[in-house]
Amino acid sequence: MKLAVVVQRYGADISGGAELHARYVAEHLARHVDLDVLTTCARDYVTWRDEIPSGVERVNGISVFRFPVDHTRRPRAFARHSERVFEHRHSLADELAWLDSEGPTSPALVRHVKAVQAEYDYFIFFSYRYYHAYYGIRAVPSKALLVPTAERDPAIGISLFQPIFRSARAIMYNSHEERAMIRAVSGNADVPGVVVGVGSEVPDRVQPERFRRKLNVRTRFAIYVGRIDENKGCKELFDFFLRYLTRMPSDLTLALIGSSVLPIPPHPRIRYLGSLSDEDKFDAIAAADVLIMPSYYESLSMVALEAWALGRPVLANGRCDVLRGQCLRSNAGLYYDNYDEFAEALYRVQTDRALAEALGQNGRRFYCQHYAWPIIERKYLDVLDQLQAEDRRARRAAPLEPLPGWFARRQKTLAPARGVMNQLPAGPAMDGRTGKDRDHG
Amino acid sequence: MADFSIRSDSVNVEEIMGQIRARIREKRGVDYTEQEIRELAAVKLEKFLDPTKVRSDLLEQFRQLQRQQLSPNIELDEETLFGSPRSWVRRARRWLRPILKLFLNPVPLMRASRVNETMVRHAELFYELVHNLVVETTRLGIEVKTLKMRVESLSSRLDFDERRARALEGVVQYRPATPAQEAAPGAARKDEDEAEAESGASRGRRRRRRRGRRGGGQRGGAEESAATGDTAQAAREDRPRAEAPPAGEGEPGDRSVGHAPPPETTRDVTATPASTRSEPPPREAGHAPEQDPGDREPGS
Repeated sequence: MKLAVVVQRYGADISGGAELHARYVAEHLARHVDLDVLTTCARDYVTWRDEIPSGVERVNGISVFRFPVDHTRRPRAFARHSERVFEHRHSLADELAWLDSEGPTSPALVRHVKAVQAEYDYFIFFSYRYYHAYYGIRAVPSKALLVPTAERDPAIGISLFQPIFRSARAIMYNSHEERAMIRAVSGNADVPGVVVGVGSEVPDRVQPERFRRKLNVRTRFAIYVGRIDENKGCKELFDFFLRYLTRMPSDLTLALIGSSVLPIPPHPRIRYLGSLSDEDKFDAIAAADVLIMPSYYESLSMVALEAWALGRPVLANGRCDVLRGQCLRSNAGLYYDNYDEFAEALYRVQTDRALAEALGQNGRRFYCQHYAWPIIERKYLDVLDQLQAEDRRARRAAPLEPLPGWFARRQKTLAPARGVMNQLPAGPAMDGRTGKDRDHG
Repeated sequence: MADFSIRSDSVNVEEIMGQIRARIREKRGVDYTEQEIRELAAVKLEKFLDPTKVRSDLLEQFRQLQRQQLSPNIELDEETLFGSPRSWVRRARRWLRPILKLFLNPVPLMRASRVNETMVRHAELFYELVHNLVVETTRLGIEVKTLKMRVESLSSRLDFDERRARALEGVVQYRPATPAQEAAPGAARKDEDEAEAESGASRGRRRRRRRGRRGGGQRGGAEESAATGDTAQAAREDRPRAEAPPAGEGEPGDRSVGHAPPPETTRDVTATPASTRSEPPPREAGHAPEQDPGDREPGS
């Protein structure tokens, strides 16, 4: 079997969530099947500027084919299109313009996918919201598997993507919440879908004391790992944590790891450690009392999974359905919707060692049962085997719905994407259904 | 602070979150949701914190408006009804006015316009009044909430300190008596007597030292009184409380101490001018500590 992973960026030094996910999956599947990666020459996810030469290169033993991007992203045009599509009644042409302005617009990549479709058995497209996935799946619908990495943001309400969700041969979801959301928005219940997620390269042995010595961290601390950005909930985290320090009797420090695009409050109990190596990062997580995950939008939090793999409890933002669902399903993390819950939950985890230990143990068990690499690989291979069996029986997916005509595309009949998103079922998916009401009960 | 008991082998996050929410409700004690609190906070920030928009003469304006109820503020007459900025239109309407009047009666319209105008002004004032009341109530509500949270915070800190103190007390170890003391009770008794005598002496010294310190502490008040010439006040402040005789035993005419006679040192102060008191009297070894330097030298 020969596979192609198609993703917007790819590289050993590219650590974005979906891109890292794609690389991990590609490297692990390459142990079982023949696999190539098709991607763009971009490195920066904001500009999508061509920074890596086009052509073929080897990354960790995998052939990577790179194709140039037609134009960089123009932020003003993208903002204007986003405003129109997310907030106002609009047309299909507006959505296509939005997709084009979002980038990375690489027709060469799509042309290549179409040209080499006979060489590959299946194409695994990552991130539904980008140009390569939309046009790539339209090019080879009968061989397309989709890893949507969808979050609960307005892009999910764009009508352009609904035929894509219905036409892919199979969808590999990151979480139950993501599956419920995509099924609700597109009605693709008959498309084979598996909740897979992704594993992590967690080392077998970690040394928390080495981290403490190396970075001179002597107190107990909570940790945040990731981009320090307002969109990731860090501003709220700082606000909550500073209030927590003034109102609760605590000796806890907040350690921050990752690149920062947000000013960090100058406070002796907030320590910014910068970007660390993977070894130091895992040591730090293992040394922490708790990992805090303040993000509102996640399709799957790899950091939370890493913390669980290392036996540490997680305190997550409960307004993110996926994180909340993971905490509930794993029984390995607490969550908060507001400051009061943040303070109480953090205080509980900090003061009740037995509880923290138990949460950590549950997390380790949850990780081993669902997110260990052998399990992830098995799920992918099972789906591929199932598709091959269907192909042998000449059972193919439904044909892709054609795009409407020139005039129909320009009729402003589509509802604002944000409104569509707001109407989708919310809350953690427990046993295949969403359950916000029971959660607040 | 109530703690929850959780068995580490049966953790249920949903239950724990339920406990946490119950505890928050218990602490908060009101039925505001987080969303409502945020809205209230936003009202405070957006509306109330802009003092230039708060009209201080609102009540006065309201009264004035009540006095001049239904007074016309817009002259809606025939000229305005049939007028126009364009002269030829105005002229045409004037010529056609008798015919137009056959089709409509403008008088009730004019009255209605006046009433309407007044009502609009009333409504604006009522709105502003209600708005300010709401904002003020909101502000007070938030302040009450803040104070409650602060009390809660102090309470939790107190709990924490108490627990810490108990923990520290638990750490202190009891040291048993030495074997030598247990073996010779007579000697121990003697030692105890000596120690008691010694401690009695040291207590006396301590008392004297403390008294001296107290006198010194009050020196500032005496100095101030002496500087303003109120010697009686200075004497009142210089007199140590422990040495004050019971009320009613003083001379009737002595205003400086009320009904109680001043102690000897105080009398020295009132009798002696400040310039002649620069040299302190010689002290005797046994009595020197009994006399408070503050009593003797209020002006130094």
